Amino acid sequence: MSESSPTTVAGWWRRPEARFLLAFTLLLAGGFAFLAWNPINDHLVEPFTAGVARASAALLNFLGQGVRQEGSMLRNDRFAVNVLNGCNGVETLVIFWSAVLAFPTATWRARVAGLLLGSLAIQAINLVRVAALFLTGAYLPRFFDSSHTVVWQTIVVLCGVLLWIFWASRFGPRRRPAGGP
Amino acid sequence: MPRSSRRTSTPVATRGGGADRPTHLARNVLLLLPAAVALWLAVAPVYNRMLVNGGELLLHLGESPNQTRVYLREGRYAMVVRHDVSGGQRFVAELTLADLHFNLILLVALFLAPPGVPWARRWRRLGLAALAGLAFHLALIVFRIESVYALELGEWSARHYGPVARNFWGLGKHLLDLPLKLGLPLLLWATFYLRLVLPARPEAAA
Repeated sequence: MSESSPTTVAGWWRRPEARFLLAFTLLLAGGFAFLAWNPINDHLVEPFTAGVARASAALLNFLGQGVRQEGSMLRNDRFAVNVLNGCNGVETLVIFWSAVLAFPTATWRARVAGLLLGSLAIQAINLVRVAALFLTGAYLPRFFDSSHTVVWQTIVVLCGVLLWIFWASRFGPRRRPAGGP
Repeated sequence: MPRSSRRTSTPVATRGGGADRPTHLARNVLLLLPAAVALWLAVAPVYNRMLVNGGELLLHLGESPNQTRVYLREGRYAMVVRHDVSGGQRFVAELTLADLHFNLILLVALFLAPPGVPWARRWRRLGLAALAGLAFHLALIVFRIESVYALELGEWSARHYGPVARNFWGLGKHLLDLPLKLGLPLLLWATFYLRLVLPARPEAAA
């Protein structure tokens, strides 16, 4: 029998779900507000986005697309795209970080490891997204809008969510000594 | 064997499936994704109509007399017309409604995926989450339109919206449109299923 009844509001607020939801929402909103702040956007987010564009250009050129990078713009003879907020993977990173930091039972070592490894994985997936969208725009332009707005946003966020679930299940729980109270 | 063990409200990582639970969950999500897309496409026309009508109703709560009309174009775009701009009716914005609610795809896939949870419970929880999603999308369409009024109509905006109001609608739209829209499926999923990933509590001594 659970010690806090789920049928009462007071009981529900004592549950780890309530702590996670409150912390997650505050971290999510605070994280985005912080990144939207002009000094942070100008000196951190914009250079990061240019780096994403650079890495995407390298991947596309590896695939023989002859892409030139100009700041956050990628272009070749067939297509051009501007890598902006929404396509730099930052939103999914903030969602993932917020979920890791808000998780109620985890050591800080597990959190740091999760943040680092998860961030690398999310950026790798985002790299694939940018390259795939460029190729879609170049060769299947009528699918670009839906791919850009719906398909790849869903895929990248889904990957962030699944990465968090894997981290929470395998690395989140604190290890308890056997036979303890 | 009785199936009552599946009906406990506190899923516990036991029965040898705890370590595999995230793998099964991820597999289920990927398998359900095409069905979730199909369901989303099927309900989108009705859902778009609800958003347009509901959004207009909510906007009218702050207008006296009513100035905003929101029309549904081609079943997927919201055309916003304002009656008191530039001396008469004026088209002020067009919103692609799929952009507001595509997070329903992930919501459906996540809520129907948890292994070991009875299907009836999964659908019931999805229904509750979908209602919360609808409330969110109605708020989002209001913030999208109000942020246009507050920030994108030049002198008219400056005349009708003070700095506090402009910041409220602008920041609110930014927060709702990106982080909360994308984080909503996880937020709602964790409300019902966080215990799937929490460590199992030790059994109380008899």
